[in-house]
Amino acid sequence: MSTVIKTVTPFIDKECLLKALDKLDVKYTINGNQIVSQNQKFIYRNGHYTLDMYSHNYQSVNWNDYKNKNSFLEVVEKEYNQFYAKKLAELERLRQEALAEKERIRLEKEIKRIEEERKAFVEKQKQAIIEKAKAKGYSVKVKKVKNKIKLILVRHTY
Amino acid sequence: MAEQTITITIDENGKINAETIGIKGEMCLDELQELLENEGDLLSVKKTDEYFQQQTVKIKNKIKNKKQ
Repeated sequence: MSTVIKTVTPFIDKECLLKALDKLDVKYTINGNQIVSQNQKFIYRNGHYTLDMYSHNYQSVNWNDYKNKNSFLEVVEKEYNQFYAKKLAELERLRQEALAEKERIRLEKEIKRIEEERKAFVEKQKQAIIEKAKAKGYSVKVKKVKNKIKLILVRHTY
Repeated sequence: MAEQTITITIDENGKINAETIGIKGEMCLDELQELLENEGDLLSVKKTDEYFQQQTVKIKNKIKNKKQ
Protein backbone atom coordinates (compact mmCIF):
# COMPACT_ATOMS: atom_id res chain seq x y z
CA MET A 1 0.00 0.00 0.00
CA SER A 2 1.32 3.36 -0.83
CA THR A 3 0.28 6.75 0.31
CA VAL A 4 0.49 10.11 -1.30
CA ILE A 5 0.14 13.11 0.88
CA LYS A 6 0.27 16.74 0.05
CA THR A 7 0.68 19.56 2.48
CA VAL A 8 -0.17 23.17 2.16
CA THR A 9 2.71 25.55 1.69
CA PRO A 10 3.93 26.31 5.21
CA PHE A 11 2.86 29.82 6.14
CA ILE A 12 6.18 30.92 7.52
CA ASP A 13 5.75 34.60 6.79
CA LYS A 14 3.20 36.26 9.02
CA GLU A 15 3.01 39.42 6.89
CA CYS A 16 2.11 37.42 3.77
CA LEU A 17 -0.41 35.32 5.62
CA LEU A 18 -2.14 38.41 6.97
CA LYS A 19 -2.20 39.97 3.53
CA ALA A 20 -3.72 36.78 2.14
CA LEU A 21 -6.42 36.82 4.81
CA ASP A 22 -7.05 40.52 4.16
CA LYS A 23 -7.47 39.86 0.47
CA LEU A 24 -9.91 37.04 1.19
CA ASP A 25 -11.76 39.41 3.49
CA VAL A 26 -11.25 37.17 6.50
CA LYS A 27 -11.62 39.17 9.70
CA TYR A 28 -9.11 38.32 12.39
CA THR A 29 -7.37 39.53 15.48
CA ILE A 30 -3.82 38.88 16.47
CA ASN A 31 -3.30 37.39 19.86
CA GLY A 32 0.36 36.71 20.59
CA ASN A 33 1.41 33.92 18.25
CA GLN A 34 -2.15 33.29 17.15
CA ILE A 35 -4.17 34.77 14.33
CA VAL A 36 -7.71 34.36 15.50
CA SER A 37 -10.58 34.47 13.06
CA GLN A 38 -14.14 33.69 14.08
CA ASN A 39 -14.09 29.97 14.89
CA GLN A 40 -10.68 29.04 13.65
CA LYS A 41 -7.21 30.25 14.35
CA PHE A 42 -3.76 30.00 12.93
CA ILE A 43 -1.20 29.12 15.56
CA TYR A 44 2.53 29.63 15.14
CA ARG A 45 4.08 26.22 15.62
CA ASN A 46 7.36 24.72 14.47
CA GLY A 47 8.30 27.81 12.48
CA HIS A 48 5.06 28.31 10.60
CA TYR A 49 1.42 29.20 11.05
CA THR A 50 -0.86 26.20 11.06
CA LEU A 51 -4.61 26.11 11.09
CA ASP A 52 -5.59 24.77 14.47
CA MET A 53 -7.94 21.89 13.75
CA TYR A 54 -9.26 21.68 17.28
CA SER A 55 -10.50 25.22 17.20
CA HIS A 56 -12.29 24.54 14.02
CA ASN A 57 -16.05 24.32 14.18
CA TYR A 58 -17.36 23.32 10.81
CA GLN A 59 -20.92 24.00 11.75
CA SER A 60 -20.63 27.56 12.87
CA VAL A 61 -17.76 28.85 10.83
CA ASN A 62 -18.51 31.41 8.22
CA TRP A 63 -16.05 30.62 5.49
CA ASN A 64 -17.21 33.19 3.05
CA ASP A 65 -18.25 30.48 0.66
CA TYR A 66 -15.39 28.17 1.42
CA LYS A 67 -16.84 24.73 1.94
CA ASN A 68 -14.32 23.17 4.21
CA LYS A 69 -10.99 23.62 5.85
CA ASN A 70 -9.04 22.24 2.94
CA SER A 71 -10.60 24.46 0.34
CA PHE A 72 -10.09 27.40 2.68
CA LEU A 73 -6.45 26.46 3.10
CA GLU A 74 -6.07 26.13 -0.64
CA VAL A 75 -7.28 29.64 -1.33
CA VAL A 76 -5.22 31.04 1.55
CA GLU A 77 -2.22 29.18 0.17
CA LYS A 78 -2.79 30.58 -3.31
CA GLU A 79 -2.95 34.14 -2.03
CA TYR A 80 -0.12 33.56 0.42
CA ASN A 81 2.13 32.27 -2.36
CA GLN A 82 1.39 35.29 -4.50
CA PHE A 83 2.18 37.70 -1.68
CA TYR A 84 5.24 35.69 -0.76
CA ALA A 85 6.53 35.83 -4.35
CA LYS A 86 5.86 39.58 -4.45
CA LYS A 87 7.69 40.04 -1.18
CA LEU A 88 10.68 38.08 -2.44
CA ALA A 89 10.73 40.11 -5.65
CA GLU A 90 10.56 43.34 -3.67
CA LEU A 91 13.36 42.21 -1.37
CA GLU A 92 15.43 41.30 -4.41
CA ARG A 93 14.75 44.73 -5.90
CA LEU A 94 15.83 46.40 -2.66
CA ARG A 95 18.92 44.21 -2.56
CA GLN A 96 19.81 45.25 -6.11
CA GLU A 97 19.23 48.89 -5.18
CA ALA A 98 21.52 48.51 -2.19
CA LEU A 99 24.17 46.94 -4.40
CA ALA A 100 23.76 49.75 -6.95
CA GLU A 101 24.09 52.29 -4.15
CA LYS A 102 27.22 50.54 -2.90
CA GLU A 103 28.62 50.51 -6.43
CA ARG A 104 27.72 54.18 -6.87
CA ILE A 105 29.63 55.06 -3.70
CA ARG A 106 32.62 52.97 -4.86
CA LEU A 107 32.66 54.70 -8.25
CA GLU A 108 32.39 58.13 -6.65
CA LYS A 109 35.41 57.31 -4.50
CA GLU A 110 37.31 56.10 -7.57
CA ILE A 111 36.48 59.29 -9.50
CA LYS A 112 37.63 61.38 -6.53
CA ARG A 113 40.83 59.35 -6.27
CA ILE A 114 41.81 59.77 -9.92
CA GLU A 115 40.89 63.48 -9.78
CA GLU A 116 43.18 63.98 -6.82
CA GLU A 117 45.90 61.93 -8.50
CA ARG A 118 45.68 64.14 -11.60
CA LYS A 119 45.75 67.36 -9.59
CA ALA A 120 48.73 66.14 -7.57
CA PHE A 121 50.54 65.22 -10.79
CA VAL A 122 49.99 68.66 -12.33
CA GLU A 123 51.10 70.35 -9.10
CA LYS A 124 54.26 68.23 -9.06
CA GLN A 125 54.96 69.16 -12.70
CA LYS A 126 54.53 72.84 -11.88
CA GLN A 127 56.82 72.70 -8.87
CA ALA A 128 59.49 70.74 -10.74
CA ILE A 129 59.54 73.25 -13.61
CA ILE A 130 59.61 76.22 -11.23
CA GLU A 131 62.54 74.74 -9.32
CA LYS A 132 64.50 74.03 -12.49
CA ALA A 133 63.72 77.47 -13.90
CA LYS A 134 64.84 79.23 -10.73
CA ALA A 135 68.03 77.19 -10.68
CA LYS A 136 68.68 78.40 -14.23
CA GLY A 137 68.24 82.01 -13.20
CA TYR A 138 64.69 82.66 -14.37
CA SER A 139 62.23 84.69 -12.43
CA VAL A 140 58.93 82.87 -12.33
CA LYS A 141 55.41 84.20 -12.48
CA VAL A 142 52.52 81.79 -11.99
CA LYS A 143 49.10 82.55 -13.40
CA LYS A 144 45.93 80.56 -13.43
CA VAL A 145 44.09 80.90 -16.73
CA LYS A 146 40.77 79.02 -16.71
CA ASN A 147 41.80 75.47 -15.87
CA LYS A 148 45.36 75.94 -17.01
CA ILE A 149 48.48 76.97 -15.17
CA LYS A 150 50.65 79.47 -16.94
CA LEU A 151 54.29 79.81 -15.93
CA ILE A 152 56.09 82.84 -17.28
CA LEU A 153 59.81 82.48 -16.95
CA VAL A 154 61.94 85.56 -17.59
CA ARG A 155 65.71 85.84 -17.61
CA HIS A 156 67.99 88.69 -18.65
CA THR A 157 71.25 88.04 -20.41
CA TYR A 158 74.08 90.37 -21.30
CA MET B 1 70.64 93.40 -22.01
CA ALA B 2 68.43 90.80 -23.70
CA GLU B 3 65.31 89.34 -22.21
CA GLN B 4 64.57 85.66 -22.57
CA THR B 5 61.07 84.56 -21.87
CA ILE B 6 59.63 81.10 -21.71
CA THR B 7 55.89 80.68 -21.32
CA ILE B 8 54.83 77.26 -20.16
CA THR B 9 51.18 76.31 -20.02
CA ILE B 10 50.13 73.20 -18.15
CA ASP B 11 46.57 72.15 -18.81
CA GLU B 12 44.34 70.40 -16.28
CA ASN B 13 45.54 66.99 -17.45
CA GLY B 14 49.21 67.84 -17.26
CA LYS B 15 49.72 68.44 -20.98
CA ILE B 16 52.39 71.05 -21.52
CA ASN B 17 52.74 73.72 -24.14
CA ALA B 18 55.90 75.81 -24.09
CA GLU B 19 57.01 78.78 -26.11
CA THR B 20 60.23 80.70 -26.04
CA ILE B 21 60.81 84.33 -26.91
CA GLY B 22 64.22 85.92 -27.22
CA ILE B 23 66.21 82.71 -27.27
CA LYS B 24 67.75 82.14 -30.65
CA GLY B 25 68.82 79.00 -32.41
CA GLU B 26 69.07 75.56 -30.92
CA MET B 27 69.56 77.04 -27.49
CA CYS B 28 65.84 77.45 -27.11
CA LEU B 29 65.31 73.74 -27.64
CA ASP B 30 68.09 72.89 -25.20
CA GLU B 31 66.58 75.24 -22.67
CA LEU B 32 63.13 73.69 -22.98
CA GLN B 33 64.55 70.20 -22.88
CA GLU B 34 66.26 70.93 -19.60
CA LEU B 35 63.20 72.53 -18.07
CA LEU B 36 60.71 69.93 -19.22
CA GLU B 37 62.81 66.82 -18.90
CA ASN B 38 60.76 64.04 -17.31
CA GLU B 39 57.61 66.15 -17.38
CA GLY B 40 56.03 64.47 -20.38
CA ASP B 41 56.75 62.84 -23.71
CA LEU B 42 57.44 65.25 -26.53
CA LEU B 43 54.63 65.35 -29.08
CA SER B 44 55.75 68.00 -31.55
CA VAL B 45 58.26 70.78 -32.09
CA LYS B 46 57.42 73.81 -34.15
CA LYS B 47 60.35 76.01 -34.93
CA THR B 48 59.61 79.73 -35.19
CA ASP B 49 61.44 82.39 -37.21
CA GLU B 50 63.51 83.19 -34.15
CA TYR B 51 64.92 79.68 -34.15
CA PHE B 52 66.31 80.18 -37.64
CA GLN B 53 67.70 83.66 -36.94
CA GLN B 54 70.89 82.45 -35.34
CA GLN B 55 71.28 79.77 -38.03
CA THR B 56 70.90 82.43 -40.74
CA VAL B 57 73.52 84.63 -39.11
CA LYS B 58 75.91 81.66 -38.99
CA ILE B 59 75.40 80.84 -42.70
CA LYS B 60 75.78 84.51 -43.72
CA ASN B 61 79.02 84.69 -41.76
CA LYS B 62 80.26 81.52 -43.48
CA ILE B 63 79.52 82.98 -46.93
CA LYS B 64 81.15 86.24 -45.95
CA ASN B 65 84.26 84.44 -44.74
CA LYS B 66 84.51 82.41 -47.97
CA LYS B 67 84.34 85.56 -50.10
CA GLN B 68 87.14 87.08 -48.10
